[in-house]
Amino acid sequence: MSMRVTLAFATLRRNPARTLLAVLGIAVAAALLLDMVMLATGMRESFRSLLLTRGYQLRVSPKGTLPFDSEATIDGASAIVAALRANPDITAVSPALGSTLSLPGNTFPSVFTLGLEGDVQGDYVLDAGTDMTGPRDSVQANAPLTAVVNRTFLVRSGKRLGDTMTVAAGLDAQLRTAARSRVVVLTGEGRFFYVPAETPVMALPLREVRTLLGPAYRDRMSVAMAESRRGDSAGVEAVRSWIASTQPRITAISTETAIRQVEERLSYFRQLAFVLGAISLGIGFLLVATLVTLSVNERRGEIAVLRAIGTQKGGVLRQVFLEGLFMSSAGIAGGLVLGLVTAQWLNAILRDFPGLPAAFDFFLWSPEAAWKSLALLLVSGTLAGLIPAWRAASIPIVRALREDAVG
Amino acid sequence: MTIRMAARVALAILLVAAGAAPAQGQGDSALSPTYGRRAPALRGIAVDVRMAEDFGLRPGSVVRLSGTPGVPGDSVQIAAVFERKADPAEVARREYRIRTHVGHLQALLGLDDRVDRFAVGVPDSVSVDSAVARINHVAFGFRAHKSSDVAVQSSRTFRVVERFHKAIGLITVVASAVFLLCLLLLSVEERRRDIAALRLMGISRGTVVRAIVLEAALVSVIGSVIGAGIGWISSLIVNAHFQQVYRTPLLFALLTPEIFAFATLTSLALGIGAGTVAAWRLVRTPPLTLLGR
Repeated sequence: MSMRVTLAFATLRRNPARTLLAVLGIAVAAALLLDMVMLATGMRESFRSLLLTRGYQLRVSPKGTLPFDSEATIDGASAIVAALRANPDITAVSPALGSTLSLPGNTFPSVFTLGLEGDVQGDYVLDAGTDMTGPRDSVQANAPLTAVVNRTFLVRSGKRLGDTMTVAAGLDAQLRTAARSRVVVLTGEGRFFYVPAETPVMALPLREVRTLLGPAYRDRMSVAMAESRRGDSAGVEAVRSWIASTQPRITAISTETAIRQVEERLSYFRQLAFVLGAISLGIGFLLVATLVTLSVNERRGEIAVLRAIGTQKGGVLRQVFLEGLFMSSAGIAGGLVLGLVTAQWLNAILRDFPGLPAAFDFFLWSPEAAWKSLALLLVSGTLAGLIPAWRAASIPIVRALREDAVG
Repeated sequence: MTIRMAARVALAILLVAAGAAPAQGQGDSALSPTYGRRAPALRGIAVDVRMAEDFGLRPGSVVRLSGTPGVPGDSVQIAAVFERKADPAEVARREYRIRTHVGHLQALLGLDDRVDRFAVGVPDSVSVDSAVARINHVAFGFRAHKSSDVAVQSSRTFRVVERFHKAIGLITVVASAVFLLCLLLLSVEERRRDIAALRLMGISRGTVVRAIVLEAALVSVIGSVIGAGIGWISSLIVNAHFQQVYRTPLLFALLTPEIFAFATLTSLALGIGAGTVAAWRLVRTPPLTLLGR
């Protein structure tokens, strides 16, 4: 076997430019295949991990809508949240109210604001400073509110933690007054999971946001997140069904449902990945098959000599097979590196999508899927060399020797 | 507070058999009095074709429309069915769309004299920039934007997809270039005896190179034409499939003369380049060496 390996290597080394080009071709095909597999699996896994960042497996939104897909809100939020919290199968419920508040006298006129309950919120993690006042802490009327903002807000407003500013709601364009306004102290900087990185965002206590928005909002929420005690699919689905049957005015969406709906929206990329992945596989197969075929045709005389001195058909077959295997292996190794680099580049392009959460990735390294796809390419590339190898081993020795001598 | 028609209107649409007597207006928001003529018995709304298909609606159908789930809402009549625009930014959004009078929607949502936006037209003699500046100078609680700026912002999704396609295209071109070079290198080397014979007969290096390059160019052009054919058939399949998936008239793949010309020229350039490299490698080798002597 070691002799076969040595001969196969020697054959590949005899034409370094050709071998290098072949390896490069397989590497590009492997890189494209890897990228497409990462694209096909990455969106699903990235979105799943995003949704489960804080362990909430269920989202509750206004009936017929996806969370924050519209500006619809749920009335009677307190009763709904209380009913959910009373269910022993639900360990936590985090209501949120999203709205746009005005920033009088600021560098940008308004900010997307999330009203949250600090002790159960699952929308951000605190990176610096202190958290906003929790819902159960006493907040004196007209005392400054505490807010957590993201990095983009601080950069664009030119503010720092500890600074104060005014937020307002209920603007009347004719009277040029705000119906309600409060002074806010920026106490913390947070990383918001579901908000695009380029969007300035502010988190305030839910109760205060409701007060700011006026009487119509005193018992409203945009969305609520719920955590099922049982983390398995059946347990989560049981809770979802219970919510759907007991709360007719809302839609409960499990992580799996949300992933399915997002995949529907982004099915174009999955299908593009499938088509391009199949093309890459085809290119890899054709490349190896063509190269080995031409290489074998070129060495008919050499193979005939090997057969004449007693080399078995199987020996010739193994040697040509090994050449294909080495070329494919080297190409795939190079393709792995090239694929990871190009995936970063393509991911950077797609992450410019407007409205995409900062933590969302299109290309995600999934070891199992990646190794499977590269193994598939290796097998197809190696098998591509089998037909020419068999033909080479079946050459009539005498005729081949004569053709080689006469030309 | 803004109005989002498609989102705020609950899926509380109760179909009434077409031609049925109009609802009695119990619970309906009050219709504006119309002096000098009779007020219409039912308000008319327009629904998008996707919604019409899914709910079996057609002009004349009577449905109930509500801003809140579980609330009876208003009886309205389908006055028209409209085709959705081929807008890339909206292609993946699955919600239904209706069009109704702004006053009606305000009443349904319990909003007092509020709108999402105004479209403002200015005379040709007025600069759009100066109009925007003047509006923003006195604006309170709203902001004016040029339509062109809004268009740029709303087409960001499409531009990202375009950049992604270009990147994929670049990778594909590189793969094709390597593939082509490999094939030409091998096919030319396979004929080294013929080339050696030509050289020994006195055919110049340049002539040999030109012949090989011409052959490579011809192969590239023929390949491009076949590729364009495959691409055209693929684009038909892609369009048929995705137009059905997203239920949109949007064209997802389009083979234009410019794209064909670009692909053919790229292929031709790659073929000529690869042919030149392959031929040059061979003609530099002495003919007798090529013959194995």
